[in-house]
Amino acid sequence: MLESGNKYSEAELVILLKERQQSAFSYLYDNYSGAIYSVILSIIPDRELANDVLQEVFVKIWRQIDSYDATKGRLFTWMINVTRNASIDTIRSKAFQNSQQNRELTETVYESAGSIDTNIDKIGLRKLVHKLKEEYKTLIELAYFQGYTQEEISKIMGIPLGTVKTRLRTALIQLRQIIKP
Amino acid sequence: MDIKEYIESGIIESYVLGLASPEEAAELESLGKQHPEIKQAVDEFALLIQQQAMQDSIMPPAEIKQQLMDALSDEFEAPKVLIMQPGGNKEETGDTKVKQLPSFSFWRTIAAASIILFIISAAMNVYYYNNYKSASDKYEALLIEKNSLQANNNTYQTKFSNLEQSINILQDSAMRVVKMPGVPGKQDNLATVYWDTKTKDVYVLANNLQQTPAGMQYQLWAIVDGNPVDAGLIGDCDGVCKMKNIPKAQKFAITLEKKGGSPTPNLKAMVVLGKV
Repeated sequence: MLESGNKYSEAELVILLKERQQSAFSYLYDNYSGAIYSVILSIIPDRELANDVLQEVFVKIWRQIDSYDATKGRLFTWMINVTRNASIDTIRSKAFQNSQQNRELTETVYESAGSIDTNIDKIGLRKLVHKLKEEYKTLIELAYFQGYTQEEISKIMGIPLGTVKTRLRTALIQLRQIIKP
Repeated sequence: MDIKEYIESGIIESYVLGLASPEEAAELESLGKQHPEIKQAVDEFALLIQQQAMQDSIMPPAEIKQQLMDALSDEFEAPKVLIMQPGGNKEETGDTKVKQLPSFSFWRTIAAASIILFIISAAMNVYYYNNYKSASDKYEALLIEKNSLQANNNTYQTKFSNLEQSINILQDSAMRVVKMPGVPGKQDNLATVYWDTKTKDVYVLANNLQQTPAGMQYQLWAIVDGNPVDAGLIGDCDGVCKMKNIPKAQKFAITLEKKGGSPTPNLKAMVVLGKV
């Protein structure tokens, strides 16, 4: 497995990235591109599009490394959030450009949630989310993989915001139990 | 606030996965400063997600890396020399444990100069080794030539010494010279006997004798009262050859005998004859 720390610690890597070192970028790509690609594919099933997003994500990580604050968390967590945001922006803009998507928000969500390629269910975190109860699965699908806010989910699903919040927390705790080795 | 309850509320997972609202995130970050166990819980879950994602890695197409490297090629800085301070906690972030040498270009210059000097040195080694090889070969050749000249010199010295001795013999006033011209039919032959009247030693000089056939040798005879007396074989000596001591003789003659000589001369094979 491509574990980090064989060559650089995370702290060393961040310093070298901030010093604009090519070797650090190359190392970052070699070590994390697989994991990041997997996250992208769990959101964007289209490989062509996913390849473009992968490039976009690494360019963002490279150019925005100064905005990474190590006191707030791990480098990987930050990179995954950059990845997730870029992926969601892509499917959203894609959906926006696509006239077929010109429907009610509710319909779109359920349609896409239901029509997801089965292959995608075997990728990354989605593979684990798949093991959750239906109501939790839908919540995480909307929140994590499609990037809707809790207020939006409340409207989409027609349930109170407080319930969305509580259920999402419960869903995440259960997800953690599944991840836990 | 019950911190344990807060940690187990799902907020940690929500925050790490980027699902917390800005207000929730701000609250967690501020609480994390007061309660290290919150920060610890965040790190633990983040690590869990990282390990999970690493396990789920899917290799992207190989050409993407090169495309990225090309796209960002203008944004890379020249490599820097870094010094790691020992004993630093690798997981600790924020403080700089990596220090850049202030005079990096100086060291690079030194390194470049070292490499250039090394290459020059290596080239000079080859050059001087070739010179050494060539000089060594020449020395060997000169040594052989010198030994050869030395040997020649020794030969000439011996020859010269022999000739000097011959001259001394010839110059002796007590020496009687007996010329021995060729016998009829062999007139072009000539030899000379030098007979010391004091010591009675006999020397012979082959002025002009035909080359002996294989297995044959010239033998000198002293004719004493009509009888031939063996005066010795004429060998390989140069110039004047010392023969046997002959107290008395009227004539001297040389005959061609088989190698090793004969007790009595083969008169038919007489080459030269001279009276004393």
